[in-house]
Amino acid sequence: MSLAAEPWPAYDGRDAPATVGQRGRVAGTMAVWRVELVKLSGKILIRAIFMLSVIGPFLVVGFLNLQSATPGDTPFGQWVHTSGFAIPMTILGFGGQWILPALTGVVAGDIYSAEDHLGTWKTILTRSRGRGQLFAGKFLAAATFAVAVLLVLTVTDLAAGLAAGRSPVVGLSGQLVPAGHATWLVAVSYLSDLPPLLGFTALAVLLSVASRNSVVGIGGTVVIGVAFQIVTLANMPQWGQQALLSTPFMAWHGFWGAPAFYGPFLWSLLTCAAWFVACSAVAWLIFRSRTIEAAA
Amino acid sequence: MTKWFGETTALDGVDLTVGGGDVHGLLGPNGAGKTTLLSALFGLVLPDEGTIRLFGRTRAQAGAGWLDGVGGFVETPRFYPYLSGRRNLAVLAGLDGGDAASLIDSALERAGLDGPAARQKVRGYSLGMRQRLGLAAAVIRRPRLLILDEPANGMDPAGIRDLRTALRRVAADGVTVILSSHDMAQVEEICDSATILSAGRVAVTGRLRALRAVAPDSVWRMRTSDDGRALGLATELAGVKAAAADCSGLDGGGLVVHAAQGEMDGYVLALGAASVAVRGLELDRTPLEALFFQLTDGAAKTAHVEVHQ
Repeated sequence: MSLAAEPWPAYDGRDAPATVGQRGRVAGTMAVWRVELVKLSGKILIRAIFMLSVIGPFLVVGFLNLQSATPGDTPFGQWVHTSGFAIPMTILGFGGQWILPALTGVVAGDIYSAEDHLGTWKTILTRSRGRGQLFAGKFLAAATFAVAVLLVLTVTDLAAGLAAGRSPVVGLSGQLVPAGHATWLVAVSYLSDLPPLLGFTALAVLLSVASRNSVVGIGGTVVIGVAFQIVTLANMPQWGQQALLSTPFMAWHGFWGAPAFYGPFLWSLLTCAAWFVACSAVAWLIFRSRTIEAAA
Repeated sequence: MTKWFGETTALDGVDLTVGGGDVHGLLGPNGAGKTTLLSALFGLVLPDEGTIRLFGRTRAQAGAGWLDGVGGFVETPRFYPYLSGRRNLAVLAGLDGGDAASLIDSALERAGLDGPAARQKVRGYSLGMRQRLGLAAAVIRRPRLLILDEPANGMDPAGIRDLRTALRRVAADGVTVILSSHDMAQVEEICDSATILSAGRVAVTGRLRALRAVAPDSVWRMRTSDDGRALGLATELAGVKAAAADCSGLDGGGLVVHAAQGEMDGYVLALGAASVAVRGLELDRTPLEALFFQLTDGAAKTAHVEVHQ
């Protein structure tokens, strides 16, 4: 067959159903979301991240078993040889503040700017999808990746810890936490990192949209995360600490006290919501009116 | 419409209508505004002044469905290099919705990208293959308007011939085609109408027959057995202007003749009658090419020609 061999498929005279009305817009956004997930699944880096998320915690357990010293400078670090529940909490305390922002940055910091780099905005913006649908669908895909990675890490870190031992663990107030309650607290602690993770996702999206450069989108997210941690070390007023997007990563500390306290977590929800809304809104304002140029 | 990029005026009051089922050529030198205009048709570039209507609807009126039934590409088609050709079309079909996915196989076959080429990652595609994939991506949209920017770039001669035939065929089926091209011969062969852009303005627009009517005569290059006598004969014929060619040219010598086709026929017959042998005759510029150069060369960039349809 050739281009001229047969008549081309004829226009059927109807607008695509997914472009009409509110339901159509939602359907269009979901179509973009599905397409973005297909694209992500085709990237070797994304597959590698999930693979590392699955086997990484078990490698950490193996590494800890090889040495007698303990990472005593992190909460639960001193208990890694006495309770398996200390292992996922040590991983969360040690790496949560910079590993999670970096992981979400890999997708959210690249998902818009990659189209600039590849010159493919022209390709996808010339289909029957509005900019709002594309923006929202991509944002959803980035958030989906962030949630999926956190869920996988929650399960695999906990599984690695359980594989190392199910002895009760010492809580942050010195109380002994039984295995059943500890399992629950580990899962809740990991999930409490979801709000700041989504906040960093929105920040990475903003960097990706504004800079049109994936190095800035990904690297900028990591650098800002580290900068927040450094600022945390400075003698700041409490409201300043609470306004930082990195502080909510530590909100789970209250869950492990006796009695448990939830004030920092509730405050972190407000902080993360403010960052999420502000970054998303600015990113959308930039994206909706931009001109699409030729590829670099 | 008018579009500025900072201090630069990319499009300056461009006013243009393309009729349904027409193949419309968009011509102009580099920087004339062709790509900006095509980008604006796709909504990639937003006009600073003016409006664009596709099938009678503005973007605000039509919403996200504005581009329904519109296919094509601006500049070289771009795809995801880490996905295969087929996977790329699946991604685009996912965005299109409807039955687009069911058209992928036939579109790939039609574009000559079936078999191993469909499974190959796009990063390994040649320019011609990417152009073909761009056309396949247009096919799955069931286009009623095709917007193509230099679609023959990188294609082999057989592919170019196939593309020309296909464009005439889809136009005959009622599809409107807007074709940006530097290839005058392609435009003259397949277009019904054309617009020449110069410095962001419409220098001339109209049906091809009407453009030819206002265009300067064709320019021919001729070699004869006696250029001196040939020059003398030319002065005796109305509608024929001849001059000695620039000898610095690679083929050297000969004559440059300005004449319409009919007058040129008479000139060649007159040369034969005067026992001057014509050893070579080549059409150097068609009337449309001559008009293009007249409107876009240097100082003439602001020229404008009124065409009576």
